[in-house]
Amino acid sequence: MSGSEIVEGYTPNFEAWIRDFNEWQTRIGFDPSWLGDYRFDIKFDWDTAGDSIEFGDFKGMPKWERRMQIPQQNIRDAIISMVSVQGDTEFASVEQQNHLLATAPTEYDKKSALRIMCEEQRHGWQMAYLLCTYFGEQGVREAAKLLERNAQDGTRILGSFNAPIDHWLDFFCFTHFIDRDGKYQLKMLSTSSFKPLAASMGPMLKEESFHLGTGANGLRRIVKQGVIPCELLQKYLNKWISTGLDLFGTDDSTSAQWAYVYGVKGRYDERESDIEADRGHLNEASRELYFQELREEMRRISAARKEGEPELFIPSDKFNRGIGNYAGKNFTIHGEKFEGSDEEYKAYLVSVLPTEEDENKLMNDYMKREWIQYREWKGN
Amino acid sequence: MQHVALLAFDKEKCKPFFDRLTELFYQHHHSEKQNSEEYEKLLYMVKKPYDNKMLDMIDQWMGLGKREWREETTREVKLALYAIRYPDTLLLDSFTENPRSDIRRLSAYLHFTHHTYAIWDEDTRKGLEKIGIKIPQTEVADPFIYGAYVSAIELLKDVAPFTCFLEHDVPRQRLFQSALAAYGREE
Repeated sequence: MSGSEIVEGYTPNFEAWIRDFNEWQTRIGFDPSWLGDYRFDIKFDWDTAGDSIEFGDFKGMPKWERRMQIPQQNIRDAIISMVSVQGDTEFASVEQQNHLLATAPTEYDKKSALRIMCEEQRHGWQMAYLLCTYFGEQGVREAAKLLERNAQDGTRILGSFNAPIDHWLDFFCFTHFIDRDGKYQLKMLSTSSFKPLAASMGPMLKEESFHLGTGANGLRRIVKQGVIPCELLQKYLNKWISTGLDLFGTDDSTSAQWAYVYGVKGRYDERESDIEADRGHLNEASRELYFQELREEMRRISAARKEGEPELFIPSDKFNRGIGNYAGKNFTIHGEKFEGSDEEYKAYLVSVLPTEEDENKLMNDYMKREWIQYREWKGN
Repeated sequence: MQHVALLAFDKEKCKPFFDRLTELFYQHHHSEKQNSEEYEKLLYMVKKPYDNKMLDMIDQWMGLGKREWREETTREVKLALYAIRYPDTLLLDSFTENPRSDIRRLSAYLHFTHHTYAIWDEDTRKGLEKIGIKIPQTEVADPFIYGAYVSAIELLKDVAPFTCFLEHDVPRQRLFQSALAAYGREE
């Protein structure tokens, strides 16, 4: 196998899954006519996938190209689980976002969001294709579940993908913070010992960069316009960043360690790093890189603010965490231990996270004005 | 011309360029001469309905002299900017001699009104040549030469690895064109 490839023919398993997919689109209210001439191609970039296993206990051996080459059932299970989680997030995000098309602030934003939703669905197809094509009955069952779980019912695998995205500020935060986590996950899988999974990541990462760009530019355009006060924007940043940090998983994770031992999932900077991996703290290492990237991005976004507006910042990684060593502990957005009772902490959270009153003000006042810098859609 | 360029394409030859694309892009796009802030402003400010002032702003950013066009020529070009559909370039053939005489100016208008068309630039052409895509030198807006130039950049977007795709607020054509310009300038 070499070079880039678009798969032309599908297996009966995957053909059957496509019929379920069409029903899923109808069920969630995504009109297929919105796709225009967009095609859900299955794309592999074999060139960047690598031929030999790059890390872990199987390092140096040829990458596995078929299920039967994978030496142990628990490794197959780990791969199936990772592909399923990835696929689950792709479909979930479309369920969370498609209602926003009707209220897009500009044609540019509507078309950008639509492109993102098309590409997320393609990524979901890619993951379902891997499951149906390489993992037999077990894969077919997992692929079916990708369309059965639903963000509206709160049954998607990861918490962030069950959270409602009520308006376009949440959409831009989601694409900036949560899709950025997606970029990390995809890059960590791009060095996988299972070659079809590694080869799937290149084309997905190319598309993902547009999603992140949409989020970052959206936030910058809001800040530049200066209608929504930075103080309020900060509350939304506080809300989404802790969610993004949680997506990296638990501290001292043994499943991340096993995935590394199997060569299934590497570090974010696996190919660039020349130091040995700290196998006991893999999630923490990736999370730290993500956190640094968020800080740099926020400096660029904040630089666009109007005179007199407070600087926007990334809250501490200890604040409002649901997973990891700081989960359930009371920290301020600046990372200091909160001195006070749990009741007082609840009151503090109200002051730093969006409240119902904030949501009302945002949607019924600020968003009724020219709240985001206009950008024209230039596509044909 | 376009087909010859694409059939002779050697992906291996692009590798050194792709490996350095990010660095090359910053070198060119963020250079003082390119005035990236002004460029990014134009991405937003040039919008329908197009007027002469917008064309003037593009000319100014490009460092071009004042357009010596009659009003009806300007109108004809503006109408073409509405009508043209990427990646078509044949419409350029219908222009009168005056607008056709300057490919840099016309390509810049196309770039800022559509974002998908790339700005014509001699260094970029040299950059393409270094990776094996030979596009003839020209100052005139020849639809076939410009078409080959645009298609070549489009092809690079298709074959480039994901590491080339920055989350930068510029269209991907600009990303590749800028990097090619810096690459073309190198000895």
